[in-house]
Amino acid sequence: MTATPAIAAAVGDQLPVLEVAITRGGAVRYAGASTDFNPIHWSDTAARAIGLDGVIVHGMWTMGTALRVVTDWVGDPGRVVDYFVRFSRPVKVPDTADGVVVRFSGKVTQVVEGVATVALEATCGDDKVLAAAKVEVRVD
Amino acid sequence: MTISETHVGRSYPPTPPYRISRAKIAEFASALGDANPAYSGVTPVAPPTFAVVISSQAWGSLFDDPELGLALHRTVHGDQRFTWTRPLREGDDVTAVLTIEKVRNRGMADMVTVRVDLSTLAGEHVCSATSTFLHSHPTEGAVA
Repeated sequence: MTATPAIAAAVGDQLPVLEVAITRGGAVRYAGASTDFNPIHWSDTAARAIGLDGVIVHGMWTMGTALRVVTDWVGDPGRVVDYFVRFSRPVKVPDTADGVVVRFSGKVTQVVEGVATVALEATCGDDKVLAAAKVEVRVD
Repeated sequence: MTISETHVGRSYPPTPPYRISRAKIAEFASALGDANPAYSGVTPVAPPTFAVVISSQAWGSLFDDPELGLALHRTVHGDQRFTWTRPLREGDDVTAVLTIEKVRNRGMADMVTVRVDLSTLAGEHVCSATSTFLHSHPTEGAVA
């Protein structure tokens, strides 16, 4: 299907873990890039007004960054055909120089007709911040 | 008014065309800390979840529809799916059409699933972005 060579994929394969720190500055940068300027992503006052402890990063930042586990593996992001996540817990972003680290991992759960299914996990501390996250990616 | 199952199937006019630029692709990839070479070079593609930049423009029609009674500040993004026909590329002119796919009323909240279809001006389908929003009803006596 694609001009690039096939990717070796077998059920049970664990993809390399990715750890990414997100800071307030990083959340503001994602706000600008995505044009989602909801103030709960940069203002503690706005976040507390809706019952949060403080600023949280965009769920779409978490979804987009989690996909790097798969695109770092296959190389060509055009191989990704389907991607689903449920936003199960918010990622709180402290107002510190280092922010907070989110850990992403993935495991191949199925390979059928040149399409691998990868189950993704994203955790921040003890919280699973994505649920039922699943990517379908061409590996042929 | 309140959104209900009777609104399932409702579609809105396409959003104005969005021209995908090299600079915006670079900005988005950088915000994800993603150095994949596909996002730079001579013919860059956009990171897959860049589709939300365009699909979210179509969400406006949902919150602007007075018949639905939805307020953005009482809405939480519950889940998200993308299905791609091909990557979004520099130079694509993309419009987005939103369709209400599913509505479930659950006590003090509504679960609203919408599908946004992204197509080029030439009519080529590029991506479908399906989102479920959890919308809380205003507290009794409060101003909506």
